[in-house]
Amino acid sequence: MEQSARDEILRKLKAAPKKGIRSRPVLPPLRELSQTKEELIEKFTKNLVEETGVVLRVPDNQAALDKLTEIIQAEGLKKVMVSTDDVVASLDLPAWGKRNNVQVMTPKDFPDRNSFRDAVFNEAEAGITGADFAVAESGTLALIHNKDQARLVSLAPILHMAIVPLERMVPVYERVTEKVFAKKDQLPSQFIFITGPSMTGDIQGALFKGMHGPRRLIVILVG
Amino acid sequence: MKKDVSLFIPCTVDLFLPHIGEATVSLLRRGGVNPVYHQEQTCCGQPAINAGYQKEARQAAKHFIEVFGKDEMVVSPSGSCVCMVKYHYPELLADEPEWRRRAEDLAPRVYELSQYLVDVLKVEDLGASFAGKVAYHESCHILRGLGVSEQPKKLIQAVKGTQWIPLNAADSCCGFGGEFANHYPDISEAMVKDKVDNYLASGADLLLLCEPGCLLNIGGYFSRNHPGKKVMHLANFLAGNGRGE
Amino acid sequence: MEIKTEQFTEAVKRELQNARSRAFLKLMPPVLHMKRDISLATFPDIPAAQAYGAAIREEAMERLPELLEEFEKNALANGAKVFWARDAGEANAYITNLAKERGVKYVTKGKSMVTEETGLNEVLSKNGVEAWETDLGEFIAQQLHRPPFHIVGPAINVPVEEVCDLFMKKANMKEPTLDPVKLGYAARLFLRDKFHHVQMGITGINMAVAETGTIINVENEGNIRFTKASPPTQVSVMSLEKVVPTMYDALHLIRLLCRNCTGQKLSAYVSMDSRPKKKDEMDGPEELFIVIVDNGRTKIYQDLKARDVLRCIRCAACLNICPVYRQIGGYAYGWVYSGPMGQVLNPVLLGLDRTQDLYRASTLCGSCKSVCPVGIDHPSLFLYYRAKDVLGDPYFKGKKRPWTEERIFKGWSWAVNRSWRWNLGIRMVRPYINKKATGGVIRKLTRSFDGWFRSRDLPPLAEKTFHERWNEINKGKRANG
Repeated sequence: MEQSARDEILRKLKAAPKKGIRSRPVLPPLRELSQTKEELIEKFTKNLVEETGVVLRVPDNQAALDKLTEIIQAEGLKKVMVSTDDVVASLDLPAWGKRNNVQVMTPKDFPDRNSFRDAVFNEAEAGITGADFAVAESGTLALIHNKDQARLVSLAPILHMAIVPLERMVPVYERVTEKVFAKKDQLPSQFIFITGPSMTGDIQGALFKGMHGPRRLIVILVG
Repeated sequence: MKKDVSLFIPCTVDLFLPHIGEATVSLLRRGGVNPVYHQEQTCCGQPAINAGYQKEARQAAKHFIEVFGKDEMVVSPSGSCVCMVKYHYPELLADEPEWRRRAEDLAPRVYELSQYLVDVLKVEDLGASFAGKVAYHESCHILRGLGVSEQPKKLIQAVKGTQWIPLNAADSCCGFGGEFANHYPDISEAMVKDKVDNYLASGADLLLLCEPGCLLNIGGYFSRNHPGKKVMHLANFLAGNGRGE
Repeated sequence: MEIKTEQFTEAVKRELQNARSRAFLKLMPPVLHMKRDISLATFPDIPAAQAYGAAIREEAMERLPELLEEFEKNALANGAKVFWARDAGEANAYITNLAKERGVKYVTKGKSMVTEETGLNEVLSKNGVEAWETDLGEFIAQQLHRPPFHIVGPAINVPVEEVCDLFMKKANMKEPTLDPVKLGYAARLFLRDKFHHVQMGITGINMAVAETGTIINVENEGNIRFTKASPPTQVSVMSLEKVVPTMYDALHLIRLLCRNCTGQKLSAYVSMDSRPKKKDEMDGPEELFIVIVDNGRTKIYQDLKARDVLRCIRCAACLNICPVYRQIGGYAYGWVYSGPMGQVLNPVLLGLDRTQDLYRASTLCGSCKSVCPVGIDHPSLFLYYRAKDVLGDPYFKGKKRPWTEERIFKGWSWAVNRSWRWNLGIRMVRPYINKKATGGVIRKLTRSFDGWFRSRDLPPLAEKTFHERWNEINKGKRANG
C-alpha cells in the first residue's frame, strides 16, 4: 500500500498547475565573512557567553588539561564520560583521570548500548567532548556524531565540556556544512550544532537552562 | 493656470464626515492646485471586497475607473481606499484584460492626501497653528499598505505651536476593520480600548489620524466612553487654523 | 486534535475574561517581537534576508514533487526508510504498527504539529502504546488535555499554580513549588526516566533537505536529541511541504526561523539526521523511518494562490505581532494552528464551511504579512477565502452567505453604479437613521448593528453629504478667487 500512496501523492502534485520559478534575489554576504580570526574568536565568545556558556582560552593541550583539572576540583567531580574523538584522544583523558582521581569512562568501555546508556544517564557527572568546528556567527559548536562521538555524551550529563582547537573556528555555518555534507555517500548519521546549554521558557515565559540537556556548557578554546 | 487634482471622497466621508472632504479641498487650494470633484463617484468597493463579494466589487471598480480614468492625479483623505484602488483593482479585474490594464494604468496616479502634499506638492507647512500636545495613530493601510509614515509626521510637526507626543503602540490596529468591528465586537472593543488607553496615557490633548474608518471607530468609542476626548483627521487639523476643529 | 473552529465566538468571550491569559498576552508576544527585531539586525540587509527566505520557499513549493522525490532517493540511499501517508489514518496506522511490531510500550515524542493534526497520540494510546510528549510545554498541555496556546510555547499561559498541581499529581514531584525553575527540574527528572529507557522515539521535522536526504530538527530543550539518540528506533514525521532544495537553503531558513521565532541567532540544538546509526556507533537509531504526510496538502497545492500557505516554516512571528492574537490567545482558533498562520491554513485543511470565523476575524491590518520570513500574504488569502465562501465554491467547501447579507450587497452594487442611485438611497434612509440620534449621535440602530453600538456611537448621516455640499464648497472657492 505504501507504493500506491506515494504514487498517488506524487501524481497529484505533478498534475497541479505551475507558476514558474523566479530567480533568487540578491542576498548580501554576512558580516562575519570579512572578519579576522581574532574578531571571530571574540564574536564566538560573546555569543556563547550571552547564552551562559563559559568560554576559556588556553594556549595548548597541556594548559587545557590543567584547566580541566581546575574545573574538576572546583566542581568536585568524580566520574565523567568522554568521547574518543581526535581532540579528546590527543589529551589522553584516561591517564589524566588516573592522575586526578577521576573515573574517566568512554562509550567503548561498555559491551552494549544499554549499559553505555545506563552509565551516561546515571553515573556521568559531566560529558567531555571535542568539537569538529566552532562557528563564530552564533557561538556554536559543530559535532559530527560517529563511533568516536556518541550522541549522549554531550547530552545526558548535566555539565558538558568541549575542547576546541582554534584552527577549527569558522565564521558561518556554510563553511561547516560544505565539508560535512560534501560526499553524499559519506554523510554522518547525525550532525549537530550546539549553541549553549539546554533551555526553555515554556512555563510562563520564564527562561532557564538545563531543561533536558546539560545545564552548563564550558568551552575550552585551544590555541 | 492651476493644475487640476481630482478629489476621491470615500463613502465614509461623504456620508458621515463631509467636513474632512471640505478640509481636503481647502488644503489642496492652499497647496496651489485646483480640486475637481466628479459628482459621478460613489464608493471604491472596499466593503464588498472585504466581505468577499467580488462580483459586486467589480461593478464599483469599473465605475470608479470610468469616473477617474482620465485624471492626471487623484487624491483621497483615506489610505484604505487608495490601497483598494492601487493594489486590489488589478487583481480583482484579472480576468478582464482591458479593465485590468486600465486599473494598472490608473494606480500610480492615485494618492493619499498627506502623501500627495509632501511627496508631490512638496509642501509641509500649510499655515496651520495649534497650541497643544498631539499624538498620531498610524493607520494600518496608510502605514503598511502605502508605506506612508513620515509624511503625516512632517505635516504635523510643521504646525506652529504643536508639541509632538509619542504614542505607545502607535502602529497597532485600532480594531476597526470595517465589518469586523460589528461582527467581532468582543475583539474589536478590546483593541480600541487598548488604543484609547495608550492615548489617554500619553497625555496628549488631541489624537490625529489619516483614516476616516479609524476616526469613526475611535471617535465613536470616545463619544460613548470618554466624552470630551478628541480625535481628528489630519486634514481638519491642518485646515483648522488653530481652532482645532 | 478535536476540531472546535466553529466555537470561535464563545471561545473568544471566554478567553477575553481570562486574566492570566491576558497578562501573558500583554507581555510575551511584544517581547518576542522585540527580540526578533534585535536579532534580525545580524543580517546586513533585513528585507533582503526575508525576501530570500520567501524565494527559497516559493521555489520549494513550485518544485515540490521533484524535491520530494530527490529527498526520498537520497534518504533511501542512506539507509533510511520512507513511508508516504495520504491521510491521518494511514500515518497513524503505520506508526502504530511500527511500535506494536517492536513490542514498544511507550514512545517519547518531540513536538510535531502534523501528528497533532492526525491525532497520533490517541491512536497509539488505544493500541496500548503510551505517547509521552517531552517538550515541556507540550508535556504540560498533554497532561492537562489542553490544545496549544501558542505554536511555540503551547502551555506558556498556564499559571505556575496549575503546573505545580499537575506535577504533584502526574510527574512524581515531591515538594510543591511555584518556582518555574524548580518545576522545570521536576519535569526534567520525570521525563529523563522516559528518555533513559525508551525504545522508540517519534519526532517532527522542521526541514527535509532534498539535496542530501537529511532531516533537520530545531529545538532548545534537548528532548528531540534524546528522542533521536536514546532509542534503537526513530520515526520522524513531516507534512509534505517541509522539503527544501539544498543545505544552503536550509541554513538560511534556520537563521530566519530562529530569529523570527524567539529572537535567537540559533536555537540551542540543531540536529541533522541523514541515516540510521552506523554499526559501531554506541547510540542513535538502528532504524530510521521517515513518514511523509499529505492530509489535505495535495489538494491545497492544486490552487495556485492557496499554495502559498504551504511555505510556512512555523516561526510564529505572525502570532506575536497579530493584534487579534494578542487579545484572544491560541485556544480560540480551535485547532492545531493558531494566529494568522492558523487562519490561512486551517480553512484549507478543514474546509471554509467549518472555519467561517477564522478567515473573517481579521481587520486586514497587514502586520502578519509584514513580518513573515517566507512572504505569505495573509490578508490577501483571507479575502480570497471570503470570496470563495461567498461563491459557495465547492473545492474548499465554501458555504455561501445568508440571503439577507447577499441582498444587502446586491442593493449596494446597484447603488454604486450610478451616483443618482447612491444619492437617492442616502436621501431615503437618512431620515430613518437620523431619527434614532440622541444628543447629536446615534447610539443604536437595528439589531444587526448591535456589535458596533455596544460600545460605540456613530455620527448621524450628514445633513448634506459631500455630494450634496459640493456646489457650495465650490462656490466658496470662486467667491475667494
